[in-house]
Amino acid sequence: MKTRKMMAMLLAGTMAVSMASVGITASAEGYEGESLVIWTLANDLIDFGDRFAEAYGVEVETVVIEPANYPTKIQTALLAGESEPDIIVAEPQMLGSFYDAGFFADLDQFGAQDYADQIVDYVWQAGQSSDGVQRAISYQITPAGIYYRRDIAQEVFGTEDPDEIAELFADYDTILETAQTLKDAGYRIFASDAEMNYFSGDEAWVVDDALNVAQSRYDYMDLCIALYQNDLTAYANQWSTPWYQAMAGEVPILTADIQNYSDDSVNVWDSESFAEATADYETTEVFAFGLPSWGVLTMRDNVGETSGLWGVCAGPSYGFGGGTFIGISSQSKKQELAWEFVKFCTLNEETAEWWIEYSEGDAVSLISVLEAHADDENEVYGGQHLNELWLELAEGIDYSLVTSYDTAIGDAWGSAISSIKTGEMSKEDAISNFYDTIEATYPELTITRE
Amino acid sequence: MSTWDNIKKGILYFLLILLAVTCLIPFLLMMVNATRSGSEIVSSFTLIPSTHLKENWETVFSYFNLFKGMFNSVLVAVPATLLCAYFSSLTAYALAMYKFKGSKVLFYTILVFMMIPGQLSLIGFYNLCTSLHLVNSYIPLIIPAIASPGTVFFLRQYVLSTLPPELIEAARIDGASEVYSFHRIVIPIMSPGIATMSIGCFIGNWNSYLLPMIILNKNEKFTLPVMMATLKASTDINANQGAIYLAVAISVIPIIIVFCFCSKYIIGSISAGSVKG
Repeated sequence: MKTRKMMAMLLAGTMAVSMASVGITASAEGYEGESLVIWTLANDLIDFGDRFAEAYGVEVETVVIEPANYPTKIQTALLAGESEPDIIVAEPQMLGSFYDAGFFADLDQFGAQDYADQIVDYVWQAGQSSDGVQRAISYQITPAGIYYRRDIAQEVFGTEDPDEIAELFADYDTILETAQTLKDAGYRIFASDAEMNYFSGDEAWVVDDALNVAQSRYDYMDLCIALYQNDLTAYANQWSTPWYQAMAGEVPILTADIQNYSDDSVNVWDSESFAEATADYETTEVFAFGLPSWGVLTMRDNVGETSGLWGVCAGPSYGFGGGTFIGISSQSKKQELAWEFVKFCTLNEETAEWWIEYSEGDAVSLISVLEAHADDENEVYGGQHLNELWLELAEGIDYSLVTSYDTAIGDAWGSAISSIKTGEMSKEDAISNFYDTIEATYPELTITRE
Repeated sequence: MSTWDNIKKGILYFLLILLAVTCLIPFLLMMVNATRSGSEIVSSFTLIPSTHLKENWETVFSYFNLFKGMFNSVLVAVPATLLCAYFSSLTAYALAMYKFKGSKVLFYTILVFMMIPGQLSLIGFYNLCTSLHLVNSYIPLIIPAIASPGTVFFLRQYVLSTLPPELIEAARIDGASEVYSFHRIVIPIMSPGIATMSIGCFIGNWNSYLLPMIILNKNEKFTLPVMMATLKASTDINANQGAIYLAVAISVIPIIIVFCFCSKYIIGSISAGSVKG
């Protein structure tokens, strides 16, 4: 284990230096015997913590808290002045409120900016509070891509090349055309109509404290409505049984009424009664799914016999979803050691290498390692070089478009879209309703109705 | 017995059996799901057990030691229930039996405090625990059980309806002290009420999640619900479903034991004690 200890000690240096340092027995910068407390919401950090403890000869205590209650736990403890957690984490939607409350310590005081070039840009920016101070870093990237069936692509479009397939998803109009072509050939483009959601954020929701409903938002709305009303999807809801089934091959084509539950003859959450009720339905195969890079693992577990027939390409714009950001609690008394831990998880090449292997395909945020693994082949995806693609997609993400309002406004827009597509409301009513909701939720925003 | 009686009885039994089945199916489902894998659970609904019990068991124990969590929960729930039962009946008896100035005001104050949700004072409570150095200890989870307005309210009504004041007067005449008569006369008469409230109190403490989650910061001190919630922190949402069911199935065993014990006690104590005629 001495090798690892040395590597960690010299993590600021290069791999070459650490390789050469095998056998040196000096302690890792004198942290031995100290202890570090991590409060996290994902199991990943348990493994990171164990490795760190081994490398530094310190004691690491990782406390895992259920994600839904993690913000409550952190807020209660830190507002009461608790100094125990040295490391705290956050998911993207929590970052804003954690920055505002001052929970994350300033990483720039440890020289974090020296590492700015080593991490994928959008992750680095997401880790900065509004005053431009670095406060958290993530070890992974989560760019969204389109997962498509290579065999169907070959049959319908005569090509399975990711770049050429990406052309079929270049913008919303093209997607509709693609959808129609696929339907004519007996397939469906998507299982659900929400697959493009990760890509819909190519313009900011709020610009200069004013609500900005860009044309692309309307285009996205029209796309969802058209997909739904023209029978272009398999009418499965995301994360329901037929949606997972569609990853493995044939699914029955449901109707709009089944999807929105007004027809309850089919139970979409139960595969046996589902199979029975839909035995007479026409079946189809689904062409594509839109998911972030962690979808690689979801697909792997559900593709069944279609393993190897999948490919991944770019979507109509750049987007991302999820990711765990690691930072130091501003009340920690062991910030130096905590900084070593943050560096160990996010900036250490050896850790990143280990994580790629251990997580079986997660995309890391450390550029050098992503590049080194650019040629890794993933068999589920026909041997495609996924890391290369993820890096490319992640580099396109413009984090300045992300605002703290995104979740709430996006949800309101989403509910407007569903009430229009199901015919519950007219487009005018639904949009005006959307404006009302935003006005009531965020009185501080300037809202210009169109 | 006429045929009409038989039909009535038949309908009655049918309805009762239906009710029993409705109540038991979720439990059965829980046990069946404890033997199934995550992807089986999300994809279908069945009452036929699968073969993943061992894997689920291993998943649960790779995250934490379930029995340690159970032990911790017992450590919290048992003292809290005892304190709650004893002090609530003491208070209820005093409020019901003694006429003193301000007893009404006191009683209504207690009623008002029943209405305040505990979550409101969470940060303040944590602050208090920090300054008293009680974070990471079970004391803040046990001691507050002494003051449980709901139980006091219920037991007061119970005392008023079941305990004739003459009984205590007779004891006084015979020379019993107030404390003696409370312990030897009042508690046995109140015991069905106390048992009922204790079941609720025990289950409440056993299942309590928010407060232990906030107060306890060490893995080895976590109570059962806090431990089980960490199963949801898995990277893949579906993977641990089976393990969660298994953990829940094991964790309700003590509740069922307590319930069996107490319900027997309730029936037993209805016929015991009190004066006749």
